[in-house]
Amino acid sequence: MRQVLIDYIEEQLLSGRSGIKVAAEDDLMGSGLIDSMGMMRFVRFIEDHFEITIPPEDLVIENFMTVEDIDNYLKGRKSA
Amino acid sequence: MNYLLPHSIDQAAGNFPDKDAFRCGNNHISYRELSAKTNQLAHLLVSLGVRKGDRVGIYLRRSLETAVAVYGIMKAGAAYVPLDPDAPAARTRFLLEDCSIEHLISHRSQLRGLDDILKEDVKLKTIIGISEEQVIKTLPWEVLEQFPAGNGPALRILEQDLAYVMYTSGSTGAPKGIMHTHYSGLSYARLSAQLYHLSPEDRIGNHAALHFDISTMGYFSGPLVGATTVIIPEAHTKMPASLAQLMEKEKLTVWYSVPLALVQLLDQGLLDQRDLRAIKWVLFGGEPFSSRHLKALMELWPQAIFSNVYGPAEVNQCTYYHMTTPPDINTAIPIGQVWDNTEIMIVDKTDAMVPEGEQGELLVRSATMMKGYWKQPQLTEKSLYVSRDEWGFEKVFYRTGDLVQLNPKGELMFLGRKDRQIKTRGYRVELDEVEAALLRHEGVTEAAVFSVSNDVEGLLIEATVILKDQCTLSEKALQSFVGLHLPLYAMPHKINFVSSLPHTSTGKIDRVKLQEEGAKIKENK
Repeated sequence: MRQVLIDYIEEQLLSGRSGIKVAAEDDLMGSGLIDSMGMMRFVRFIEDHFEITIPPEDLVIENFMTVEDIDNYLKGRKSA
Repeated sequence: MNYLLPHSIDQAAGNFPDKDAFRCGNNHISYRELSAKTNQLAHLLVSLGVRKGDRVGIYLRRSLETAVAVYGIMKAGAAYVPLDPDAPAARTRFLLEDCSIEHLISHRSQLRGLDDILKEDVKLKTIIGISEEQVIKTLPWEVLEQFPAGNGPALRILEQDLAYVMYTSGSTGAPKGIMHTHYSGLSYARLSAQLYHLSPEDRIGNHAALHFDISTMGYFSGPLVGATTVIIPEAHTKMPASLAQLMEKEKLTVWYSVPLALVQLLDQGLLDQRDLRAIKWVLFGGEPFSSRHLKALMELWPQAIFSNVYGPAEVNQCTYYHMTTPPDINTAIPIGQVWDNTEIMIVDKTDAMVPEGEQGELLVRSATMMKGYWKQPQLTEKSLYVSRDEWGFEKVFYRTGDLVQLNPKGELMFLGRKDRQIKTRGYRVELDEVEAALLRHEGVTEAAVFSVSNDVEGLLIEATVILKDQCTLSEKALQSFVGLHLPLYAMPHKINFVSSLPHTSTGKIDRVKLQEEGAKIKENK
């Protein structure tokens, strides 16, 4: 699951900034890896790819700060 | 007497030493600490060879360090140049070169971008704020502790000296630097503090990045009155639900941002459950706020006064329009009245004043006006209108390039850009009018309209829109909807539906990019 997310970030959201490697624990927002519009695209991708709907109230930093956080959030939803 | 921007924080340090000057996330800095830290930074800069009038770069994201950098640089007699960390490295290198920047203030969180910038030769001598080794000298933030905190360097700085240079896109392709002095910056702070009744009790939400001109309210006006400026952390600007939480937790009393930031919160229904009764003022600017969204927001926060802020970065702000009751849907929001210490002219193409109520270009003369464009005397001259009376007294106005007219109530209405007007099949069309028509549809969240040239028909109007979640609207249906509001020739011949629109780093829709993409698709066909 993590690799899917990392691939999307590297290939889709960082296009133009070549050679950047993203690690699962990298801060996606504070470091500017992803801008606000990129974040919205990323959320839509996750919804489409994993066939889920993420309610607006779940769009919080704790769930989306790092790839690891997103992974945990998605796992938490599955088990719920 | 208070005549330089840094005087504000030193004065507040005397009056409210322990009060938070700036907050960002879990971090905060009091006026006493801010005054001391900025003295230290100024001494450090002077020790590195920074002289009065030099430019020092700030390569930081939304953080407390930005406040230390802004005021420390000015206390060293230098002008700060905010650089956009999201800008491509080549553009940042151009700015560094253009402003002959030798010293940069940054943070280790920005190493990725710094590495990119330093891949090619730049004339930088020092980066302050990082300890990691680079090809040039670096100094960690901790080095400040070695410098005196009691007072800043003794320098003769005048209110007419350069305080900051903010870059904006230039029509020639290269960015241009807008030069502001302590006088113009402080004039803005004073006028805005007066207009919005700012007091030491206020907590100002600063959503804008430092390189965006509307950040001057949080960074200048807040400290002028000894208020607390809450810098919205980077992550919160990207996660609407967290932003709504933060607005509540910080008990913000003043909010200032581009409309988009509020529209996102509203469209996702994130504001309904939040207690935001502390908000007294909602300031918005940068681009028009759709009356439909504005109305919804005003109904949600009935206690707040909403204010449409207008003014190109060259003059900071020059007009305002306060609203206490929600607007009618489908009416444009006026940019309102001219504020104090400012006068305007509305002129035609020959610089003659237009008859009252007619459309014309807005020229502005104000205490808040820029000194000119950095190293571009010709461009500066072109952007100014100088009127001389018979005794030789000169009045200098800035040509905004914005078309305005006075409505019957004597309020200024913004009609569009002088250069966003196009002719299609012989008809004159304001592209912003087409956008407004699209935004009238309740399924449309954002819309951008631009022109694409076609060999046969000349300029064609195209639109790109974002629809609300779950909204299924066909191109045809939307076209017939706008056909209700627009003459046939002004209707977009094509509407693209997308999930996101490109934005410039300051949050405005990047219509130029859309236009370029549209042109490319045509070429490849």
